[in-house]
Amino acid sequence: MLLKRSRQEVQASMAIIETSGLSRHFGKTAAVEDLTLTVEAGEILGFLGPNGAGKTTTIRMLAGMIAPTKGYAVVAGHRTDRDVEQLHEVVGILTETPGFYSRLSAKRNLEYFAGFYSSIESPSKQVEKYLRLIGLWERCNDRVGTFSKGMKHRLALVRALVHEPKVLFLDEPTAGLDPKAGAEVREMIHRLGREGHTIFLSTHNLNEAEILCNRIAVIHSRLLALDTPEQLRRRFFRRQIIVQLEVLDAKLAEVVKKLPFVQEAREEENQLILELTDSERNRPELVQAIVEAGGRVISVTEKQYPLEEVYLRLVHEESGNES
Amino acid sequence: MSRRHIRNILLKEWALLFTDPNSAFMVTLLPLLIVGQVILYIWLAFRFGAEGMLSAQVFQTALQKLVEAVPGVGQLPGEEQLLVLLLSQVNFFLLLIPTMIAMSVATFSIVDEKLSGSLEALLATPVKTRDLLLGKALAGAIPALVATWISAGVFLLVVWAVGWGEFIGFVVTARWFLTLFLLTPAVAILSFMLGVTGSSRAKDARGAQNIALVIIFPVFALIGIQITGIVWFTPLLILVLALAIGIAAFASLRAAVRLFRRESIVVQWR
Repeated sequence: MLLKRSRQEVQASMAIIETSGLSRHFGKTAAVEDLTLTVEAGEILGFLGPNGAGKTTTIRMLAGMIAPTKGYAVVAGHRTDRDVEQLHEVVGILTETPGFYSRLSAKRNLEYFAGFYSSIESPSKQVEKYLRLIGLWERCNDRVGTFSKGMKHRLALVRALVHEPKVLFLDEPTAGLDPKAGAEVREMIHRLGREGHTIFLSTHNLNEAEILCNRIAVIHSRLLALDTPEQLRRRFFRRQIIVQLEVLDAKLAEVVKKLPFVQEAREEENQLILELTDSERNRPELVQAIVEAGGRVISVTEKQYPLEEVYLRLVHEESGNES
Repeated sequence: MSRRHIRNILLKEWALLFTDPNSAFMVTLLPLLIVGQVILYIWLAFRFGAEGMLSAQVFQTALQKLVEAVPGVGQLPGEEQLLVLLLSQVNFFLLLIPTMIAMSVATFSIVDEKLSGSLEALLATPVKTRDLLLGKALAGAIPALVATWISAGVFLLVVWAVGWGEFIGFVVTARWFLTLFLLTPAVAILSFMLGVTGSSRAKDARGAQNIALVIIFPVFALIGIQITGIVWFTPLLILVLALAIGIAAFASLRAAVRLFRRESIVVQWR
C-alpha cells in the first residue's frame, strides 16, 4: 500500500507555489479564470478537471512556458512571467507527450536535456544515477525509438527530475499507459513524494489522485474545490458507519435507533447504516449497546464514497451554474 | 550567450545528422555530386561548345572582364581563355552546397522537434531562444562549410587529374580564397539562419520546404550574374558582399529570435 506524507508533515513547511487571480484567455475563451491557490513545499497536489478545463494551461503558466493574461504566480520564489530562466532551473515538467529523439540512445537524450541546467556539473553522472533508479540503466545505450510507451514515460519522468527540481509538474503522467506501466509510474511518483518533492499532478485518474495526493484541486476554468480527499467527501456526504451483524432483527434495530448519539439509521439485510453525532467517539458505545442487546457484530466500517462521485457532483454543479 | 548550451545543441544535432541517412547523404555525397556535375558540364562545354560560346556576346563580355582581372589569361588561346572563365565560376557554384544542405537540414530542424514533441520539453529547460537558434544554425552550417571546402579541394584535384593543372594558377586567386573562406561562410550561416527561422514559423514540413526556396533563389541569381559577366566579382566586391551577407546573417539571428514565438509553439503544437 502506498503511504502518503501526512498533511501535518506537509504543513510544517512553507508555500512553494502561490497563485493570485491567475487567468489565461485565448481570444475570447477563458482557459483559466481567477485561479488562486497555494501549494506547500513537499505536498503532492492533485489537479483534476474535465478535458479542456485548463489543467495543462495552468501547468504551463506555472512552469513559465506561457504567460498569464491576468494575475500572477510565484513558484519556488520566482515570478513565472518574469524570472523564466531562473524558474526553469528549479522546476521540472513532464509534458503530455514524452518527446524524445528516437534515433539517439536513452542516455544521450537525457544528457542533452541535462546539459542545459547550470546545477548539473556532470550530466552523464546525473543521468546514470537516475537511469539506475528507474531500472533502465541496462538499456541506456539503446535507441529511444525501440522503447515501449511505458519506458518512454519513465524516461520522460527522469528528464523532468534530472536537475532535482524544487517543484515537479506532471501532466497526465499515466495517460495511455497499460496497467503495469501506469503502476510503475505511480510507484515512482509516490517515491518522489516520500522523498519530499513538491508535485503538481494533473490527472484524470481519480483513484491515482486519491492514492498519491495530499490535497486535490478540481478546476473547470475556475477553481471549484481544493481540499484533502476526505474533506471533499465531507462536502457532499455525511459520514456513515456500517455495522455488519450476524443477524439483524427488528428489536435490535429499535434499540440502536433509540441510542442518543444515533442521528440517522437504516437497515439493509444484516447491516445497519448509521450517522452518529461523533462517528469516532461514539463507536465503542454503539458496539457495546449492540452486544448488550444480544447482537453479534461482525464488523464496523465507515462507508467510503468514491472520489469520483464527489468529482462528478462538483463538475455537475459548475455546469449547472454555467447554464 | 551560453557556450555550454550552444555546444550541447551542436553535439546533439550532429549526432542526429549523422544517424539520419538522408541528412548524411546531403552533407557527404551531394557536394561531391555537385562538383562532379560541374566538371562534367565544363568538359562538355569546352570539348563540344567552345566555338559557339566564344562567339556569344555574353561570354565575350565575361572574358573581357576576366582578362582585365587576370591579365595573364590574355596570353592564352581563345578556347583556353573560355576554359579558365568556366573554371573561375566554380567557386560561385560551390555556394550551392551550403544553401542546398540548409534547405534539406535546417528547414526541418524545428518542425521535426515540434512534431515529435521534444521542442516543448526543450523549451521547459533554461535554454535561451538565441542559443537554441544559433546552435541549430551552426550545427548545420559547420558541416556544410567543411563539405564545401572539401569539395573545392576535390575540384582542384580533378582539374589537375584531367590535365588542366596548368590553369589552376589562374583560378586559385585572391577571388577564389575570398569566395571560399569569407563569402561561403557568410552564405552558409545566412542560409541556415533563414532555414531555421522558416522552420520555426512553418506549420508543417511542407511549409518549411516552401520557405526554404527563398534561400536558394539569391544564390542562383548570384551565379547567373557571374556567368553572364553582368557584374565581375573583384576581390573588393566579394569582400563587400561577404560583409553585407555577414551583417544580414547577424540581423537574421536577431529577427529569428523575435519571430520565435515560444508560447505559440507550446500552445499550438500538441
